[in-house]
Amino acid sequence: MDLDQLWKLTLGEIEIQLSRANFATWLKSSRLVDRKDGGTFVVSLPNNFAREWVENKYQKNILGIIRNFDGSARKIEFVVTGNFQAEAPAAKKISAPDLSKFDRIELEFKVDPETNLNPRYSMKSFVVGPSNELAYAGATAIVNEIGLKYNPFFIYGGVGLGKTHLIQAVGNEIRSRYQNKVRPRYVSSEKFISDVVWGIRNKRMEDTKKKYRDVDVLIIDDIQFIGGKEKTEEEFFHTFNSLYEANKQIIISSDRPPQSIPTLEERLRSRFEGGLIVDIGYPEYEMRVAIIRGRLQEASRQLSDEVVDLIARRVKKNIRELEGVLNKILFYQEKKQADITGKVAEEIIDKSIQNAARRITDTQVLKAVAEFFNISLGDLVSHNRRKEVVEPRQIAMYLLRDMLEMSYPGVGEKMGRDHTTAIHSYEKINQEINRNSALSQKIMLIRETIYKS
Amino acid sequence: MKVVVIRTNLRDGLNAIEAAAGENQALPILRNALIEASEGKLKLATTNLEIGASYTVAGKVLEDGRATAPIATLLGIMNNIQSDRLNLESKGASVEITSDNYHATLQGMPAEDFPLIPKVKNQTEYVSVKSEILKESLAQVVLATQTSDLRPELNSVLFDFSIDTLRFAATDSFRLAEKVLAVTEIESTCEEGFRVLVPLKTVHEILRVLRGDELVKVFRDENQVLFKTNQFELISRLLEGNFPDYGAIVPKKFGAEILVERQEFVNALKLASVFGNKSNEVKILVPPGKKALQVSSADQAVGENSYLLPAKVEGKLGETVFNWRYLLDALKAVKTGEVFFGVNDEGQPALLRGAKEGSYFYILKPILKA
Repeated sequence: MDLDQLWKLTLGEIEIQLSRANFATWLKSSRLVDRKDGGTFVVSLPNNFAREWVENKYQKNILGIIRNFDGSARKIEFVVTGNFQAEAPAAKKISAPDLSKFDRIELEFKVDPETNLNPRYSMKSFVVGPSNELAYAGATAIVNEIGLKYNPFFIYGGVGLGKTHLIQAVGNEIRSRYQNKVRPRYVSSEKFISDVVWGIRNKRMEDTKKKYRDVDVLIIDDIQFIGGKEKTEEEFFHTFNSLYEANKQIIISSDRPPQSIPTLEERLRSRFEGGLIVDIGYPEYEMRVAIIRGRLQEASRQLSDEVVDLIARRVKKNIRELEGVLNKILFYQEKKQADITGKVAEEIIDKSIQNAARRITDTQVLKAVAEFFNISLGDLVSHNRRKEVVEPRQIAMYLLRDMLEMSYPGVGEKMGRDHTTAIHSYEKINQEINRNSALSQKIMLIRETIYKS
Repeated sequence: MKVVVIRTNLRDGLNAIEAAAGENQALPILRNALIEASEGKLKLATTNLEIGASYTVAGKVLEDGRATAPIATLLGIMNNIQSDRLNLESKGASVEITSDNYHATLQGMPAEDFPLIPKVKNQTEYVSVKSEILKESLAQVVLATQTSDLRPELNSVLFDFSIDTLRFAATDSFRLAEKVLAVTEIESTCEEGFRVLVPLKTVHEILRVLRGDELVKVFRDENQVLFKTNQFELISRLLEGNFPDYGAIVPKKFGAEILVERQEFVNALKLASVFGNKSNEVKILVPPGKKALQVSSADQAVGENSYLLPAKVEGKLGETVFNWRYLLDALKAVKTGEVFFGVNDEGQPALLRGAKEGSYFYILKPILKA
């Protein structure tokens, strides 16, 4: 009989003899940990109080019960569990200085209240590749000639591709190069909106105006969010003009180009288009590898080439996700003190990214489209040519092709149509999407519901 | 059990052990104090199964015995009753308190059910310190702590004993304080050094209870520590885990060595705190060519201020930002009139201590700037 089993039986008998409270307090987390030569059994208990109590009150009972199951039992010893666990780590490196922790925790304190910039983002740590070299070149030019060369400087690109990094880095670079002569200020558009709201509510609009017009470089992140908020847009428009006329630099980021922010007012849009508009695209394989290597060096950690290659190949579309996966792997490495093999890495990657991409199915897409336009699934695939089902149908085909990368014949089959119809639908929507902002917004909303479901 | 005891003695004893009583649904007896009369002494005890406290009260024992009663009720009676002499008597599981004009019966629980308070195995080796010295030393290091769930080993004070010195240290990873007691301040029967982590809760209890100049003996075995005076005993488990080996981060050289009047520095920081923003930041600067320390703070919503205080300065100091609360904590611990403040640029830790004192220091890291 193994020890765990023996102890279970013993506890079963003791439980009957004791009150529930006593049993729960003293014996619940006990274990039988060892059977030594000469019939000595070792029982571990969670704390000294329990040991004192059990040793004095129940020792005989326990010995009696164990002897019923195992005739060789002669003696019982009690230990406190803590010791068992402590032995291993206590023997290990007592001397290793714990400096890293000292540094790590303090990172939260680092955001500069005056400029709102996080010093973690620097031009040096920005990895440059073909997909973002234009943006990077623009940024460097701005640092050299603030407000004169490209004003406003508008960066757009997908989520997690480094927009925030780049614009914050410009701010940090300006700050360190010109010391305090040039005052940059970084603000998320959400903060800008709340400041405007604050100004209106407290009747102190002047303070808000001053706060934003009193800078030399204004950096606004995620500008798409101010679309549709009229008063904020107006305020931003005036701030923009007053800075622009004073030759102050304005840097803006967004997740899409100005013409695709549907709710943005025309006059703002045309102002944005007056400067330099650059996009940041998906990083290439080489760039992803460079990013991973950079992060590893920063954290002074190491991973095998195989694992680095694996991460870079598997996580393609989002640098933040790339870093997330990398962090998970490093955490695993630290925790287990084990080498990370390709297999382990693959598992971790699978776990982290499957949620995002893998689960979308064609039925989900069709359902989302049908729900969005409030028509039935049957209508969507029927041969009905009413106007209110034709557009949804084309959008559905477009999304099937675009999101799931299905073949045209596949799309056609799914919709009960010819592959040429699928081609036509896809191309039509694809063209329309750039011209018709109402359509592009609809499609964006549908995409969101699909990702969320 | 039957004893006669002076009210104030009993009250003091109960007060000392009160905080060690526990609140445990499964084991309601933890809310009770154990009253034990034997060998002409009255011993009171409580425990919450993490720490156990006991206190011996002088009294006249007429009949040996043991009983338990809720400590909250006992204290309620002691705080309000006027009589000086009280008779305590156990009848079955209940306890009766009688004076010339007062009578109470307390619903107790059988003393046999009260947890046994463990003992330290090694009863011969101990370090002893005067209460007030131990208390002051612990108070000086405890203010560098902050209870954290992330690193339980930091919710503790390090007791590091090595033959001729007893060293206390505590940290919350933003700052660290260390106090050393020299050979003249301690006595020891220990054969070898030890390095143990005493839980913060235990230390706070010690700070609360100890007073006067009686000797405290500190015993320990592999997982427990016992603090013992003539009357009072507190036993606690030790924390597992390693205290950071902080020797390497204690700065040895400073960019600027500043000597400043403690009280003035405290005033300056309190002034700065008026304008302190959310992150409690205060800027410290030595204006070039001046023998002074500039303490300033600013808040966008409030405004800004700066304060110049005379100081002896060696070296240079550009603007460095600190958390003023942490600085103020340090100045609370440094009791001398003049304070040494060594600062380094570039995010290296700064150090505070008494100008002529070597037994205590407090290091803290500046808040990094872009």
